[in-house]
Amino acid sequence: MSRSGEPARITTLRLIVFLIFGAIVLRLAYIQLFSPKYKDMARNNIIRHVVLYPARGEVYDRNGEYLVQSRECYDFMVVYRELPKSGFDTVRVCEILGITREKLIRELQSARRNPRAPRRILNYVSKESKLLLDECNLQGFYTVYRTARQYPRKVGGNLLGYVGEVSEDMLRRYPSYNAGDYIGMTGVEAAYEDVLKGKKGLRIEEHDAYGAIRGSYMDGAFDTVPEHGRSIVCTIDARLQLFAEELMEGKVGAAVAIEPSTGEILMMVSSPTYDPDELVGRNRGNNYMQMLNNKRQPLFNRAVRAKYPPGSTFKLVQGLIGLQEGVLSPNNCYSCHNGYRAGPITVKCHAHTSPLNLYYAVATSCNAYFCYVFRNILDNPKYGGVKNGFDVWEEYVESFGFGRNLDSDFLGEGNGYVPDRKFYDKRYRGSWNSLTVLSLSIGQGELGCTPLQMANLAAIIANRGYYYVPHIVRSIEGEDSLDRRFYERHYTKVDPRHFETIVEGMWRGVNVDGTSRLAALPDLDVCGKTGTAQNPHGADHSTFLSFAPRNDPRIAISVYVENGGFGASMALPIASLLEEFYLTGEVKRQNMIDYVKNKNIYYPAYAK
Amino acid sequence: MQSNGRTDIFDGIDFKTVAIYIALTIIGAICITSASFDESSTDIFSMSHFYMKQIVWVGAAWATAFVIMLLDSRYFHMLAYPAYLLGILALVAVLLFGREVNGAKAWFQFGSIRVQPVEFAKIAIALAVARMMSGYSFSINKAGDLFRLAAILILPLAIIILQNDTGSGIVLGSFLFVFYREGLNKWLCIPVLLVALLFIVSFIITPPVLLISLILLFTLSEAMMNRLWRSRIMFLAAIFFTSIVLYGVLSLFETGIGYYRSLLITSVCAVIVAAIYAYRSNLRNIFVILALFLSSMIFLPTADFVFSSILKPHQQNRILNFLGLVDDLRDTGYNVNQSKIAIGSGGLTGKGLMNGTQIKYNFVPEKHTDFIFCTIGEEWGFLGALVVLGLLCALILRLMKMGDRHEEPFGRVYCYCVASILLFHVLVNVGMTIGLMPVMGIPLPFVSYGGSSLIAFTVMLFIAVNLDASTRQQIDRYR
Repeated sequence: MSRSGEPARITTLRLIVFLIFGAIVLRLAYIQLFSPKYKDMARNNIIRHVVLYPARGEVYDRNGEYLVQSRECYDFMVVYRELPKSGFDTVRVCEILGITREKLIRELQSARRNPRAPRRILNYVSKESKLLLDECNLQGFYTVYRTARQYPRKVGGNLLGYVGEVSEDMLRRYPSYNAGDYIGMTGVEAAYEDVLKGKKGLRIEEHDAYGAIRGSYMDGAFDTVPEHGRSIVCTIDARLQLFAEELMEGKVGAAVAIEPSTGEILMMVSSPTYDPDELVGRNRGNNYMQMLNNKRQPLFNRAVRAKYPPGSTFKLVQGLIGLQEGVLSPNNCYSCHNGYRAGPITVKCHAHTSPLNLYYAVATSCNAYFCYVFRNILDNPKYGGVKNGFDVWEEYVESFGFGRNLDSDFLGEGNGYVPDRKFYDKRYRGSWNSLTVLSLSIGQGELGCTPLQMANLAAIIANRGYYYVPHIVRSIEGEDSLDRRFYERHYTKVDPRHFETIVEGMWRGVNVDGTSRLAALPDLDVCGKTGTAQNPHGADHSTFLSFAPRNDPRIAISVYVENGGFGASMALPIASLLEEFYLTGEVKRQNMIDYVKNKNIYYPAYAK
Repeated sequence: MQSNGRTDIFDGIDFKTVAIYIALTIIGAICITSASFDESSTDIFSMSHFYMKQIVWVGAAWATAFVIMLLDSRYFHMLAYPAYLLGILALVAVLLFGREVNGAKAWFQFGSIRVQPVEFAKIAIALAVARMMSGYSFSINKAGDLFRLAAILILPLAIIILQNDTGSGIVLGSFLFVFYREGLNKWLCIPVLLVALLFIVSFIITPPVLLISLILLFTLSEAMMNRLWRSRIMFLAAIFFTSIVLYGVLSLFETGIGYYRSLLITSVCAVIVAAIYAYRSNLRNIFVILALFLSSMIFLPTADFVFSSILKPHQQNRILNFLGLVDDLRDTGYNVNQSKIAIGSGGLTGKGLMNGTQIKYNFVPEKHTDFIFCTIGEEWGFLGALVVLGLLCALILRLMKMGDRHEEPFGRVYCYCVASILLFHVLVNVGMTIGLMPVMGIPLPFVSYGGSSLIAFTVMLFIAVNLDASTRQQIDRYR
């Protein structure tokens, strides 16, 4: 037993003990006192923010029928970190969800990149599948309640619009949205997004290591309840809309009907349309791409965005301006021998009696007559020059709602186009006269109108001189009234007394002698005006503008069929059938329906 | 020699040690209650709960302590070798008939009670070591005696390793602490430490091992050529100690640099030092060896190939994780990471009893056994952890003091054995919960849940207290 050097060794050993405990204490101090990250990590371990999505508001038609409903569906989510280490029954999960195993594996691989964050594996999981998944009691997976849109009537694709997930671009523009939220993309869904979307709720849960819920954080002090989106009642008549879509099938164009006394849009069809259900659910992407590649552009809402030449229907405006300006009186007669000739320019016309007064000119749609009228307006000596006269004319035209959007509640409404003096100055380097722009007289040339603007023109004439801003929504849940602008009368610059003359012309065109004879309906006093617009894409565009009954107008309608030929050959029957259906509730002229449905139109511009 | 028999069992007892012991067992019971309390349970006093069992075990342990104090201290000296034999037999028996838990075949199952014989074998080994080292002619620096001593340790070590219970096996390495105290030659200490180090690192058979082998190979071959053993061993020791200190300092502050890189840095420095030395001493052959060493180091990347193509993925992960090369928070690193989060989130004062979310919601595995320190760290905070560590440190120092005041080497060696075993347990157990040590399944003495470990540590401690009490009585009597 050697005790030499013992005290030194004892000291060394004590030192070792102190060193070991010192290192432990130092390390403890470091992670407990100077590393705040562990507190966050512990909190993140247990806290899960669960967003409670509200149901989106319903949309009803004017008769209380569902246009859009919300149906229960689920997002299937995963938190990669909480997956059982021993694996799970992938085959069963794929079977329930109806996806391939490869897709599931791929999604799990992506989820692995951020193992803590919940990641969506699949959306639009049906309630039945959700219940089956619940039975499997999968660790690490959960479902989130969402709602999907559903369209009982399957009408109004472009009108109602669709709901989609917010894009990255939208996230930047609207900071109140989060990734994965749904937002109205077009149509009514977009226009009334704020009303329909409701308010998201939040539940903060505490989870244990196995992902099981162990309670709510702080006893739910920070939880909020989701608020159901408010419903809206549309001005649309679903049955009329459906009938219009049926009639427009196979044709390219648009049909819009407005209730003149309120400005409510009764029907708005953009053709070709699509089944709105196709833009809901998992196949949305594919269907969307298909529509995007369709040359007829079903996603392009022609009813509010297309710029069509109004053709002869625009003669109504010319006549009204002429009357107001005093360059025209109802009994002014002009002669027309198959057209209007002035120097090098000829505007052709069809055969009719000559000379003719304004009533008959409207009824039979005489081109020459309105060339005289238009030239008289522009060349009115009191303005001293065609350019000043043109300014006056332009002002009148714009007061009818042309050349700019009508400020309806429908997003993405097009402006149409009314050329101004500068436009022609530039095109003709300052030297132009009333002959140069003569094609404007019959609604051709540079003029472009949206079908909504044309329907609005019908409403203006039906109202004898004013219109209400056309709108798509009748009432909003929880609000007493709509925006003020929908209750204001907008008068044109033409005195209401001049309108009766034009109305008389339109009435005669339908009921006495004219181009619109086919549109006559017993006891309904239909007034109408056909239009046939030349265009560089093929056959003439067929258009018809009408309202009825004459003295108590309940519907003003405009139908526009691209390459449909004469106004009376395509647009007129459609408009007339719609009026009959809306005003009488039934259609007696089955042969006309058959004619419209069976008529094939050739569309060179859309390669078919 | 006078009779060591005591007349009064309370006479001469080191009451401070007993107080620390009682405090630790109570703290342990409270922690386990907090960790395993189930609010939803209908019968909170049911014996199926861990905490109820532990309370019973604490009572049993205290009774055992009392019984140990009743025994005559001479018995321990007398029974040292028989106990050792019994211990070895128990270890062999468990190897043959034992039950496998967590991959280690180290448990006997009696009904619902599981016993780990190695806990008791440690007492027997400590007694045997003390008995041998207290022999009349024993000198630790005599080759024969050292060999016998080594045999006493290596026999159980071999069986424990066969049980696949490496963690418990490594505990025996802590006896070096005792040997040093008893005057083991410094120059023998260093190779033993080296072997121990190699052993620890050997269950990490990876590039570092290759690097270590290379360093050993080249240095020793150089030593053979130049016949300069002593300085070369010093050189080796310097490399390893420096690298460990470097790694320790770096990991203390979570720089994320693993041991391998620390060793790499150190050995590169060592190469430079060796080159300067060789130039000064004009030893040309050292340059040849250095060149060989450097070129082998370039081939180290081939070890990566071996690593990735021969080892199974989970083996790779465990290794990479301990070395700090990857942070796989789902598998291997998960336990340690969650344990660190638990302790780190406790802050200064902790979250309060039964409020530790990491514990309550099962993020920490083995929260009532091996990772009990997480419960302390999370619910009682830095201050609570300081109290527990302070108690353990005081107990170890107390044991060393008790050893030092023994007149006879038997008691002294035994006390130091207990102190070193406790120290090792604390270092490894607490170290692994805070990411300083690789995960080894050994309990925190007196605190972790488990009857066999609590009773075993109690017996171990109270034998030391008993021996000390009789020494003090004797001293009093002679005074």
